[in-house]
Amino acid sequence: MSFLFGRNKQKSSAELSKLVKESILRLDSTASQKVRQIIDPFNPEQVYQLIVSLIQEDLLLLLAVAIPKLPFETRKDVQVIFSYVFRYKPPNSTMATEPLALNHVINSRPEVITALCRGYEHRESAMSCGTVLREILKHDAVAAIILYDEPKGGSLTNVTNGANASKGTTPIQYDIPQTGQGIFWRFFDWVEAGGFEISTDAFSTFRDILTKHKQLVSSYLSKNFALFFGRYNSLVLSNNYVTKRQSIKLLGEILLDRANYQVMTTYVDSADHLKICMNLLRDERKMVAYEGFHVFKVFVANPNKSMAVQQILIKNRNKLLKFLPDFLADRTDDEQFSDEKAFLIRQIETMPSSPTPPSVPQLAGAGSTVAGGGG
Amino acid sequence: MANQYQVLEELGSGSFGVVYKAIERATGDIVAIKHIDLESSEDDIQEIQQEIAVLSTCASPFVTQYKTSFVRGYKLWIVMEYLGGGSCLDLVWGKFDDPFEKFVTLWLTGFQLKPGPFSEAHIAIICRELLLGLDYLHREGKIHRDIKAANVLLSSTGMVKLADFGVAAQLTNIKSQRNTFVGTPFWMAPEVIQQAGYDFKADIWSLGITAMEMVNGEPPNASTHPMKVLFLIPKAPAPRLEGGNYSRDLKDFVAACLVKDPDRRPTAKELLKHKFIRGAGKVEELQELVERRQEWAGGKSERTSHPRLYEETMHTMGVKEERDEWIFDTIKAPTLAPTSKHTQKRRKLSVIEHDTPEEALQQLNINGSLRQSETQMNPAVQKSSERRRSSANKVASPGRRPSGQKQPLVPDMSFGNSGSTIRQFRRVSDNSPNISPESSIAGRDENRPPLVEAVTKESVLGRRVYSSVIENTFQEVHSQTGSQGKREALSRVADAWSALDAIDPEGEYQLLKLIIERVYSDPKLSSLLPVAHQNSPQRQKLVLATNNPHLKSHRRRQSLQVPQEDIWADSHQMNLPGRLIPGMEHTKILADVLYSRWAEGLKTRWPVV
Repeated sequence: MSFLFGRNKQKSSAELSKLVKESILRLDSTASQKVRQIIDPFNPEQVYQLIVSLIQEDLLLLLAVAIPKLPFETRKDVQVIFSYVFRYKPPNSTMATEPLALNHVINSRPEVITALCRGYEHRESAMSCGTVLREILKHDAVAAIILYDEPKGGSLTNVTNGANASKGTTPIQYDIPQTGQGIFWRFFDWVEAGGFEISTDAFSTFRDILTKHKQLVSSYLSKNFALFFGRYNSLVLSNNYVTKRQSIKLLGEILLDRANYQVMTTYVDSADHLKICMNLLRDERKMVAYEGFHVFKVFVANPNKSMAVQQILIKNRNKLLKFLPDFLADRTDDEQFSDEKAFLIRQIETMPSSPTPPSVPQLAGAGSTVAGGGG
Repeated sequence: MANQYQVLEELGSGSFGVVYKAIERATGDIVAIKHIDLESSEDDIQEIQQEIAVLSTCASPFVTQYKTSFVRGYKLWIVMEYLGGGSCLDLVWGKFDDPFEKFVTLWLTGFQLKPGPFSEAHIAIICRELLLGLDYLHREGKIHRDIKAANVLLSSTGMVKLADFGVAAQLTNIKSQRNTFVGTPFWMAPEVIQQAGYDFKADIWSLGITAMEMVNGEPPNASTHPMKVLFLIPKAPAPRLEGGNYSRDLKDFVAACLVKDPDRRPTAKELLKHKFIRGAGKVEELQELVERRQEWAGGKSERTSHPRLYEETMHTMGVKEERDEWIFDTIKAPTLAPTSKHTQKRRKLSVIEHDTPEEALQQLNINGSLRQSETQMNPAVQKSSERRRSSANKVASPGRRPSGQKQPLVPDMSFGNSGSTIRQFRRVSDNSPNISPESSIAGRDENRPPLVEAVTKESVLGRRVYSSVIENTFQEVHSQTGSQGKREALSRVADAWSALDAIDPEGEYQLLKLIIERVYSDPKLSSLLPVAHQNSPQRQKLVLATNNPHLKSHRRRQSLQVPQEDIWADSHQMNLPGRLIPGMEHTKILADVLYSRWAEGLKTRWPVV
C-alpha cells in the first residue's frame, strides 16, 4: 500500500486533490460507511502499515487542507478516513493509550488540527471538518492546541515547510496571555457568519471546546478574561438570532460550571455585563429573554455583589420588582423558572437601600459572611 | 440572503412551520422554502441543526435536494428544490386542509375521493425509486425513519424523491444502531417500537407499509388509535395484502418488506432485484398521476383560485416601542427614565422624592434586613447553583420545555393529529451521535449530557427498567386510559419519569427497587402480587421476593430495632445517588401515584404470572 504514498510530495492543488482522491479510492472503493468493513478485513499488520505510512507521508495535513477542494462525496469519505485514523489504536495497545495517528498529530503535527478548524472558512468543508473536530475534541490536548494556537512567526515552524519541520514544534505555553490572533479566536467570526449550517456547526465545536475541558478552560478564561469576554459580548449582542440565543445559553453554562467559579465571580462583578444582561431581559423575543434570565440570576444570587452591580440593582429595584412578576408569565408549566423568579424577587426586595461594600473581597468571603450572620 | 428569493404562495404547513413556493431571483429557479419559527421552538436549535446536517450531506436524484438555509429574524429559512407533483399522499387522496371541506367534497363526489387510483404499475415505479433513494441513504449511513406516502414527493415530470428528514438519523461507524423512538406509529417497524436497537432495516418495513398505503389509501390499522397500534405492531403478525385484487408479485413484495425480524428483512439493494420492482416501468409514466391530480384539483379546489399568498409576518423587530428602560447611568438617572419630554423632568424628580421615604424606611430596617439577607444569601446561592445544574442538565432533556407542549407519550394524539410524526420519544442519543462509549465516560460533562451515561451497574439496570418496563407500561396504560384529563396526568408522570431516567438512572433503579420492596413488605399488597420467578433474570434483579433473606432481615430489623433502621438506611442507601437527597422527595410522591398504574400494567403485561 505504501506505493500510494511513496511519490507523495507537495504538488499543485489539482495534482494534490487528484492524488488524495486516488488514495481515498484505494481506501474506500464503495461508500464511506463501508470504510470500516473494508479496512477491517485487512490483516492488522497491513492496517498498521497504512496508518504509519499516512503519518510518514504527512497525508493527514494534505487531506485536511484539501477538503474544501474535493468533490462532494469524496469530502464525506475523507471525513470517514479521519474519524477512522484518529481512532485507530495498534491491536496490542491498552485502552488508555492515545490513538496512534492522533498522538502523532498532537505531539508533532498540530497544524492538522488548525487546518481542520480552517475548514469553517469554506461552506464545502465546514461540516466534515466540524464532525472530525468534535470527535477528537474529546481529548484535552486537542482543545489545548486550538485554544493556545498563535500565528507562527518567522522563527517558528512554518506549515508549508513540509513534514520534517514538524520536529521543532514548540510546547504549548500556558502562561502567556493570548494575542487573540490564534485559531480559537476565529471561531467568534465563524459562529456568526455564513449560512445556518456553518455557523451552528461552528458553534457546536466552539461549545465543545469551552465545556468539555474544565480545568484547561477555566485557567484559560481566567488568564484571558478581558479578551475573551470582550469578544464574547459581541456574540451576545449579535444581530443573528441563532448566534445570540445560543451564546447566551452557553454563557450561562460556562458561568455556572463549578470549575469556572473564579471566572464567574469576575464576570458578575462587572456592571457592564449586568447592563447587557438586563437588556436581554427586555428583549422582545421571549427565548432570548429567557436565556438572558439564566445569566441575570447569577448576578442577583451572588452574595458578594460589587458596588457597581449593587448600585444598578438598587437603582432599578422598583422597576425590577414591577417587571419581574410579569416576566414570561406564560411559562406556567416551568416550575423551576417560577421558583427562580420568585427567589430573585425576594433577593431584590431584601437588598439594602444603598450599596454596601462586599464583606470580604472575593473567594474567602462566602464562608465568613455566614459566620458573621450567625453571630 | 432572503432578498435573493421572491416568495410566492403557501404550499402547506405543519408542526414544523410553513412551506412556501418561491423564485430564486438570480437563477429564476422555483424553490420550496420552509420557514421554521425558532422562537416558538423550545427545543434546542441543535435538533434542527441535525436535520440540516443530514439533508446537506445528501446529493441524490432520489432525495429532495437541499440548497441552503439561513436565519432571518427569528425564522430559519430552509431552501429546497421545488417538486410540483405534490406528495404521494396528495396523489392518492387529493388535498384537504379542512376536514369539513374534505367531508363536503367526499359527499359531493359520491365518496369517490381519490383523484384516481394508483395502479400496481405506478406503485412499482414509486417503490423502485424509493428503494434507490433508500439504498443511497443507507449506504451513507443514514436512516430516514419516517417513510410514508406523505413524505414521498413527485416532481411534475414524475421523479420520485424522499422528503422530510425531520427525524432522520446519521449513523457513525462507532454506533451502528439507534434506540430513539421516532416515526409515525402506523408506519413504524416493530423493532423501533420495542426500542431494542434498530438500523436501516426499519426503513424497509415502513416502505412495505407505504406500499400498502398506496394500494389502500391508508396504512393497515388506520382506524385504530395510534397509541394502540404501537402495541399491535410488535404483537400481531405482520400485515399482508390479501385477496384476488392484487398481483402475486405485489403481495410478495409487501410480504418481503414486512418481515418482523429485521435480520431476515432484505436490504434495499436486495429488494431492487425483486420481481415486482424489476418489472416496473419508467418514471415518466407517473406524469399521468400528477396531471390527473391537477385536473381533478383544478375542478374542485378553491386553492388554485385563491392561493394563500406569502405575507411578511415578521414584526419589524428593530423598532422598539417607547418603554420603561433600565436605569444604568449612575449620575443622571432621572433623565433616563421613561419618556424624554422636558416637562416631565420635574415630575420625575418628584417621583424620586416620593421614593425616598420608603428608602428611609428601609434604612431603619437595615440591620434586620441585612442580617437576614446575609444569612440567607449563602444557602440561597448554593441552592441556585444546585438548581442551575439541574437546569443545565435539562438543556438536552425534556425538562426544559414546558411539559404541556411535548410529552414523551405521543406528542399530541388527540383527534386529527394522530397521523403526525413522533419526533423523538426521548431526546437521547440523537444529540450526541458521535460520542463513543469509552470517551464519553471520561469526558463526561456535568453541564450538558443529553443523557447521563449509565456507568454503574445500578444505572444500567435503571436504564433497563425504564426501557423494558416503565416506558411500555406507560404507553400501555395510556392507551387504555379513556379520559383526556387522566391521560394528561399520566403523560406528565411519564414525562417526569423520562426526565429522571435521563438524569439519574441509578436513582431510578433505587426508586423502583424500594417501591417493590415496600410492596412486598406490606402484607395486603404482597398477597396481591405474584411471587417473582427465580429464573427471570430481570425480575431477579428488581424484585426482592418474599422469601429473600435480605428482605426478611430487613423486616426483622424494622420490627425489632427501630433505631437501627437509620443506620441500615445510612450504610446502604445514603451514599447512593438519587437517594435521600433533598429535592428528590417528589419522586416518592411520584412513586405512590405511579405504583397502582404500574402494577396494573404489570398485570396486563403478564396476566399468567
